[in-house]
Order: sequence, then C-alpha cells, then structure tokens
Amino acid sequence: MKAVLIIFNTALTDKVEYMIDKLNIRGFTQWDGLQGRGSVDGDPHYGTHTWPEINTATLCIVEDEKVDILLEKIQKIDEIDKRVGIRAFVWNIERMY
Amino acid sequence: MSIYRSAVKKPITTLMVFTAIIVFGLYSLTKLPVDLYPEIELPAITVLTVYRGANSGEIEKNITKIVEDQLNTLSNLKQITSVSRDNISVVTLEFQWGTNLDEAANDIRNALEFVKQRLPEGADNPQIFKFNSSLMPIVFYAVTAEESYPGLEKILEEKVINPLNRIDGIGQIGLAGLPKREIYVEVDPVKAEAMGITVEMIGGIIQAENFNLPAGNVKMGDMDYQLKIQGEFYSSDQIQNIILGNFFGQTIRIKDIAQVRDTIRESNIDEKLNGKTGVRMFVQKQSGGNTVKVAKSVQAEIEKIKPTLPPDVKIETIFDSSDFISNSINNLTETLMYAFLFVILVVLFFLGRWRATFIIILTIPISLIVAFIFLGISGGSINIISLTSLSIAIGMVVDDAIVVLENITKHIERGATPREAAIYATNEVWLAVIVTTLVVVAVFFPLTLVSGLTGVLFKQLGWIVTITVTTSTLAAISLTPMLSSKMLKLLPPRKSKLSWDNTIQKFLEKLDNFYERSIRYVLRHKVSALLVSFLIFGSSMLLITQVGTEFMPDSDQSRVSATIELQTGIRVEETKKVARLLEKIIKEKYPEVTLLSVSSGSDDTGSISSIFGTSGSNIINIIMRLEPKSARNRTCWDIGDEFRKDLAQIPEIKNYKITYSQGFQMGGGDNSVVIEIYGYDFDTTNIYAAQLADAIKKIPSARDVQISRAEMKPELEFVPDREKMAIYGLNVASVSLALRNRVTGLTATKFRESGEEYNIVVRLDEKYRSSISDIENIVVQNSQGLKVCLGDIGVVQETWLPPTIEHKRRERIVKVSAVPQGVSLGTLAGEIEKVMNDIPKPQGVLVEIGGAYKDMQDSFMDLGLLLLLSILLVYIVMASQFESFKIPLIIMFSIPFSFSGVVIALWLTGTNLNIISALGAVLLIGIVVKNAIVLVDYINLMRDRGYNLCEAIAISGKSRLRPVLMTALTTGLGMLPLALSSGEGSEIWSPMGISVIGGLIFSTFLTLIVVPVAYAVFERSGTRRKRRLAHRKDFSFMD
Repeated sequence: MKAVLIIFNTALTDKVEYMIDKLNIRGFTQWDGLQGRGSVDGDPHYGTHTWPEINTATLCIVEDEKVDILLEKIQKIDEIDKRVGIRAFVWNIERMY
Repeated sequence: MSIYRSAVKKPITTLMVFTAIIVFGLYSLTKLPVDLYPEIELPAITVLTVYRGANSGEIEKNITKIVEDQLNTLSNLKQITSVSRDNISVVTLEFQWGTNLDEAANDIRNALEFVKQRLPEGADNPQIFKFNSSLMPIVFYAVTAEESYPGLEKILEEKVINPLNRIDGIGQIGLAGLPKREIYVEVDPVKAEAMGITVEMIGGIIQAENFNLPAGNVKMGDMDYQLKIQGEFYSSDQIQNIILGNFFGQTIRIKDIAQVRDTIRESNIDEKLNGKTGVRMFVQKQSGGNTVKVAKSVQAEIEKIKPTLPPDVKIETIFDSSDFISNSINNLTETLMYAFLFVILVVLFFLGRWRATFIIILTIPISLIVAFIFLGISGGSINIISLTSLSIAIGMVVDDAIVVLENITKHIERGATPREAAIYATNEVWLAVIVTTLVVVAVFFPLTLVSGLTGVLFKQLGWIVTITVTTSTLAAISLTPMLSSKMLKLLPPRKSKLSWDNTIQKFLEKLDNFYERSIRYVLRHKVSALLVSFLIFGSSMLLITQVGTEFMPDSDQSRVSATIELQTGIRVEETKKVARLLEKIIKEKYPEVTLLSVSSGSDDTGSISSIFGTSGSNIINIIMRLEPKSARNRTCWDIGDEFRKDLAQIPEIKNYKITYSQGFQMGGGDNSVVIEIYGYDFDTTNIYAAQLADAIKKIPSARDVQISRAEMKPELEFVPDREKMAIYGLNVASVSLALRNRVTGLTATKFRESGEEYNIVVRLDEKYRSSISDIENIVVQNSQGLKVCLGDIGVVQETWLPPTIEHKRRERIVKVSAVPQGVSLGTLAGEIEKVMNDIPKPQGVLVEIGGAYKDMQDSFMDLGLLLLLSILLVYIVMASQFESFKIPLIIMFSIPFSFSGVVIALWLTGTNLNIISALGAVLLIGIVVKNAIVLVDYINLMRDRGYNLCEAIAISGKSRLRPVLMTALTTGLGMLPLALSSGEGSEIWSPMGISVIGGLIFSTFLTLIVVPVAYAVFERSGTRRKRRLAHRKDFSFMD
C-alpha cells in the first residue's frame, strides 16, 4: 500500500475528485484552505489579497499498482495549464489498522 | 457555504431568485406614479383668515398680529411670515425640515382655538392649509361661455365637476372667476327714511318671511296629517312683494322703496380667455397620485363631456403639466436607453465576446429594476431625479460584473472547467469587489442625509445609486458566476482577418503598450509632470470666476406669465380697458401664443388662490400658453423680453413682472435676489426701498426690479367723534355695523332653489353710496329710533394705506427684488451689495439679502458639508482597505483635479454652476476614486509580489488601463445624450451631463497620469519591502 498526497490549487477540486472516483479510489482524506509555495517556480498560494490562490490536499492510501496510473492522470491535469499547480507525493505505508 | 458557491451549484434557485426580483420590480414599475419632481412636502403651513370689507391695515392689526403672536411659540418653528391684504390675512409658518407636519397642524389648531375669541366678530374662522407640491394644479382649463355665462356655475357643477370627481386620483377641482348668483335688495334711503324703515328692518322682515316650520300633527278621523307652514320663497320675484308695513294706511311693499335684482354677484374680477368671458377651472391631484395618468384621464373625460355642454360653452386647456412631464420623462427614458446601448457597445468593444457581454449586461436591468422596487416601497415616483439617478448608475453597475467575469475568463483560459472557474475565480475577487462598492456607497450614501430642498434632489440619487450598486455587486457574485459556469467556454482564437481578435484586440494591445511607455516616461519626469498638472489645475480654478452660478437652471415650459400693475386704487373698469389693449397687442405680435388667459381685478371673497398670487383692482394677470418648443423659433425668454418692451410703452402701466415657470418650481420659485428691508414705519422703509430700487435699476444686469409693497392706496376712513356719538347714545360698534350693512350689505337670508342656496343681500342702492357726501348722509338709528346722519357724528377722511402689509419674523418688511439678466445670480447679488453700501440706511431699519440667492448659498453650504462628509467616509473606507493612512491621500489627491474638468467644461459651454452641475461633481468623486483604487490596489499588489516601484506602476497601468477606460466610457457615453439633449426640460439636466463628461475626460487622464506619479512621489521605492525588513529585526536569531 502506498500513501499518495496530492496537493493542488483549489480550483482543481472538481477534476481531482472526478479522477479519484474514476480510478475507484474509495478512501481519501481532504484538507481545505492550505497555504503553500512551489519549490521551483509558480506563484505562491497564500489565499491573501496579494496571492489569492489557495491549495487543497487529498491523501489517499492506494494499492501499489494504482500509483502509476494516478500519477499519470495527475500529470495530465498539470499539463492543462502549468500555472494552476498540482503536485503528488508518494510514500510507503508500513502498517495499517 | 458561500453565496457564489451556492449560486453555481443551484443555478435554478439563483435564476428563480432573480426572476422573482425582476417580476416584483416590473410590478412596482407599473404602479409607480410619474411626476416631474419627487413629491415635496414643504414644511410650511398657512393660516388663512378672511375678514370681508377690512383693509390691509385693519387686517394687520386685528387679525395677523393676533395670529402671529399666538403661533410664534410653536416648537420647531423656523420662520413666520405673513401678508395682510384687503379682506384677507395669510400667515405662513415655516418649520424645520423633518418636522412632523400633522403634529404641527394640530398644535396650530389648538393655538387657533384661543385666538378665535379675540378675532373680530365678522372674521371667518382661520383655515389651515398644508402646502404640498401635489397641491399645485396639474391641469388648468379655460371655460368660456356667452349666453350661458350667468348659469355657468350650475352647468359646470353638474356636467363637468361631478363626472370629473369620479376619476381615480383626483384631489379637487376648483373654479376661479365663477359668476355666482346673488339676490340684491337695493334700498333707496330717501324713501326708506321717509317711511321710517332701516336696512336692518328690511333684512329682518325678509328673513322672517323666508321660513319653513313643521307645526305638528293633526288627527282627523282615521287620518293623521302633518301640519306645516311653507313660507320659503319659491321664486325671487316674491321678494319684491313682501309687505314691510303700513304708512298712513297704505301698504308698503319692498318694491316701493327698493329694487330687487336677481343677478350674478358683483365682482371686481374680470376673466377673459382668448378674449371671451370665462372661468378658469383647475384640477388638483391627490397626494401620491400619478400626475400624468390623472391628467390624461381628465383630458379624456373632458373630451367626452364637451358634446353634452350647451354649444356656447367651450373648454380649452390653458396648461397641462402632464405634457411637460411626459415629454421630459420620455426624453430621459430615451437617454437611459441610449446609455444602455452605449454600455453594451463599450463592453462588447473591450471584451469582444457576445456571451461575456450578455452576462455583464444582464446586471444592468436587474440593478435598475431593484431601484423600482425601492421607489415602490418608499412611495417614490418616476421623475427627473430618479431617472437621472438611474442613468448615473447605469455605467457603474457593470464594473463589478466585469471584474468577476475577467477573473473567471482567466481561469477558463488556464484550463479550468467553467464551473470550477466560476466558483474559484469568484472566491478570489469577491472581497475586492465588495470593497470597491463600499467606496461608491461611501460617496453616495451621505447624499441621503441632506436635508432641506436640496435634500429632495439628493436623497433619491443617494438611495438609488446606493441600492443599484449594492444590487449589482450581489448579482456580480451570484448571477454572474452562475451564468458564466453555464455559458462561458474556451474559444479557440479566431482566424478571420476582421474578427475582434485581429482588429480591436490588436488595437487595444497597442494602446496598452503605448500607455505603458508613456507612464514610464512620465515616471522619469515626475517633477515636470506634477508642475504641468498643477498649472492646469491652477489656471482652471481661475476660470471659476468666469463661470456663473445659479440655483436651478431655468427651463422653457412653453409658458409666459405676466403680472401687470396699474395706478393703485384704479377702478376695475379702467384696468379692463388696458387688459383689452394688451390682448390686442398679444394677438397681433405673438402668433406663438395658443391660449391667452387674462384676469383683471381681484376677487373680493378671499379664496385659496389668494395665497398664490397678487391681486387687486389695479392688477392684470396674463398667462400665455405657447406652442411646443420645437414648433417655434423664439424661446419663452425671447417672447418675454419682447413683451417687456411692449409693456414699457403703455403709459398706464406702472410696473410689471414676467415669469416663465408654471407656478411652483424647485428652489422656491424664480431666480431672484431679494433684499429684505425690516422696519415699522411705512414712510421710512418706502423711501429707502425706492432709493434702493432706483439704484438697482441702474445696474445693467438687473431686470424686473420690484418692490414688494405696492404703492399706497387711497382709502376712505370714517373717523367717529365719540363725544357726539355719546350724545345720541351710539357707539362705534353699532355705527360701524350699520355702515357695513349699508355699503357692503346685510346678508339677510338664503334663497333656496333646486338644492342650491343663494344669498339675499340688502344694502343701499349704489347711487346713494358713491361719494364722500353720500357716506356722510347715511342715516343710522339709535335705540330710541332717533335718526342721525353719519356726518353729524364724525367725518369721512381720505387716507393712504399700502394694499398689502408683509411681515417676516412678526416685523413689517419690504422686499426689493431683481432678476439677473445675462449674468449669474451670485454676480448680481455682489453688485447689489455694492450699491447698497452707497445708500445711507435710515435708523431703525434692518436690511438683509435673501431670496433664491440665499437659498443657493444655503444649499451650496450644505453641499460643501456633504462633500466633506463623503470625502471623510471615503477616506475611512480606503484607509481600512489599504491599511494605510497615506495611500488614501494619494488617491484623493486626484479629486480636486477632476473639478478642473467640470469648471473647464462649464466655461467652454457657457453653462452656469448650479445644483444640478454640482450633483455631477459629487458623482465624479465616486468615479475618480473608484478608478484610482483599481489602479493603486493593483500597484500595491504588484509591489507585494516583488516588483520594484516603477516596474509595478508600469505593469499595473498597462493591466488596469482597460477597466479604467471602460468605466469612464460607459459613464461618459451614458451621459452624452443628457448633455446634448435639447428636448423639453433638457435645460434642467444638461448641465449635469456637461459637467460629468468634462470632469470624466479630465479625471480619466488624471487617474492614468497624475495618480501613478503621485504614488511614485509619495511612496518611496522599497517602502513595502522595508516594512518587511523592519519586521525581520524581531527574528535576529537567524542572522
């Protein structure tokens, strides 16, 4: 099992939710109103007057084989317009209850 | 859940909410009355007391003074003025604005209860009139008749007034100059005395004979009969056969010593309409009634009635205020439509997308319709002010929607689905949109607080703009995202050479780049740029002395009225001759006149109409109705000036005054400077007033110089000798009553015929009361039946008295007034003040300047205060928005410059500064500040995002150029039809269009050049970063 943390511009919420549904990922956890800044480029997303954009994060714990397809779709979303911003981070799940 | 999210997620609900608003708004619109101005309830109450036969001096002493003293202590009373005229006393109480007039009226009624017992016996009870603009007649008719003239009262009552009264919204229908039937018993005193009969005895006998009484029941057999005595006259012929008594065995009937005439009442008024004898009929509407609708239904009803009248009775319209109103309103509605069209074109021009344009434009009708709901609820009407307010608002309501839509489009272009874009893009800008709206509200809301007459103008503007702009913001964050989510889509760039992308878009891009280059250039030459701006500002402010001032613009209402005064004391018969001459002149020289109403002399009964105008046996009132403005070459002012020349050539005419408005106008009537001279002594004040008037007449720009106190009128006074009276056992009361009964007449009883009552008046035949010796020969009888000639107990003297005595603040006052010609009111007032200082003021006389000039000063003062309040509020909103004391100052730095534009525009077009153009100036503040905020906010944003000062300014300028231009163009083009309009009533609002357009051109330029420069000057480079650096000192552990 892998944990995939998707952090994206809140404007992409509909797309991300649609993707998760389509990929039959049932379980996820979502946080709203997150601030962040990209490591390389792009505008900060602070939700302020200066930087009005804001992020949402979705954490899904998925089977290993789903990770690739998930990342592939996320990349596709990102490529629609790089300025909007979506990133995903994957790590191992050691134990589960 | 936020409003925009719900709106997008529930499109049907959103649509239904707005549909409901539109339906409700349209419903209100159909119910709204149409009027020229908002209804004005002047906080004034008039107390009218009639005392027939008394001259102005007696009225002043016995009635006016008592009423004034009693009413002077009322609460909230601002000013008390009065006019004492022959027969009538008019006391006007002016209250503070906002006083509850119903309460005030009750207080007055209570106070008058005390007064009643102190008034002379013959005086009628004081009547109270509340003055409301809806009281002004809306339609005036001229009714002319020939053979039917004596019976006109009954004809009109039955066939015209009764049917008209059934029309919905009719207040009252009045008749002026109506012939009233009266029965005179004119006694020959010589014969009567010979037989020992007095006027009082005849009166008593007639009264005793004209009597009906039920006497009870009589039971006869099976029946019960009612018994009655039927003594009332059934014909006026009966009166002459009444037996007065026996004289040496001979029966004396009334006809033996008197002549009985059943005729129309002797009147000192002569009404001629288009040269024919006639009556004026005026129609008042109910308060809150729809003037246009009522007037139209009255007109229609009159058309139906006409065929039922006798052939010689003709009804013609003298003036119909609904014509002017509906023309004005139509013109304004047209203007509003043009403004709407221009806004659509401007938005389309800048966006180049049909769907986007449609979404934005939709906010206009919604916002405007909400204004109708407001008007409906607050009891307002469709009028010049509310429509002008709407055309002001029309350019502003699209701004918010544009901002929202722009951001949504940006997101869609970045690949978001319209639905996502609608929600998240609105989320990013909704707060900013609300804040800019707050600024506009901060400018306009204080307008609702203005009191006084100007408040009537400004309150509606304030409310309407506040409400429409707030609605537009709500629509922008709910309806706009919803529609965007449904209608917008990503369009591929269009290829066609003539497409928007390849033409206008290219042009706009070039414009953006050009502006960016110029702003960079200007930023390098800050000092010279500021110097040039200040130079322009300074020189334009010098122009302000060249711009005239007035209170309200005059408008050509196709009407000229003249009040012409002949030698005082002249008989009405002589006045009539002059009136006929004038009629001839008008008929020959002024073909534009379609209806001519001439009334000469005065109605001695004292009616409500006496409040409105001056009358007297030497006064001729002329009303000319002209052809519509478009059908004639001369304006009403040209005709008035020509007519002045004609009047000046007639030697009998002592004085004349020409006015052009239909009675009641905003701002207290005509544009005149009034000098108020207070003083008790008639002679001193008369001489001073005459000196002043002569001096003012020498001022070339003064016209129609008038002295309010007419010339002294000769009158006869019976001065009783109390010693002699005492010998005969007479007193003043009995003698004066006897005199009055013989001259004015004794109303003995009433003659009843078909439900109407007519007075039977006993008095001396005219030939026995038409000279001083006749009066002295009048015989009175004492209680012992002893006959005494008046000449034996007193003398008849000729004295002089002014026909009207005016009071203000309970003091006698004379007003000298002048109307400016070619110059403004302010200038004339200044010149008069200079002249005044050269004339030595007599002792005990107080002089003040008042009139429209005073009103103007007061309103401008009010407006100045309001401007200050607006500016303060705007500062408060902006300071909190920017969290800075300095940035609002930078933005407000541009406000004075926009006034340069107003002044220059007024100067170029030769328009006067008046309350309407001042209104335009207030509006400008809103636009200038809004534009500046858009720009400065963006500059701040760019600086926060790390650009340096100049770079940030240049980038922001480039990016904000289009929104600023859009706002300016929508508002400016919206006003263009107003400024250019030349239809009826256009004189009232074109100054506003002119000042707004002038100010806009200037202020747009300013926002684009001066604001960035000022920003660069006041904010030093790096200040924003420094603040962050200072902050960092607290985190020195990292160093």
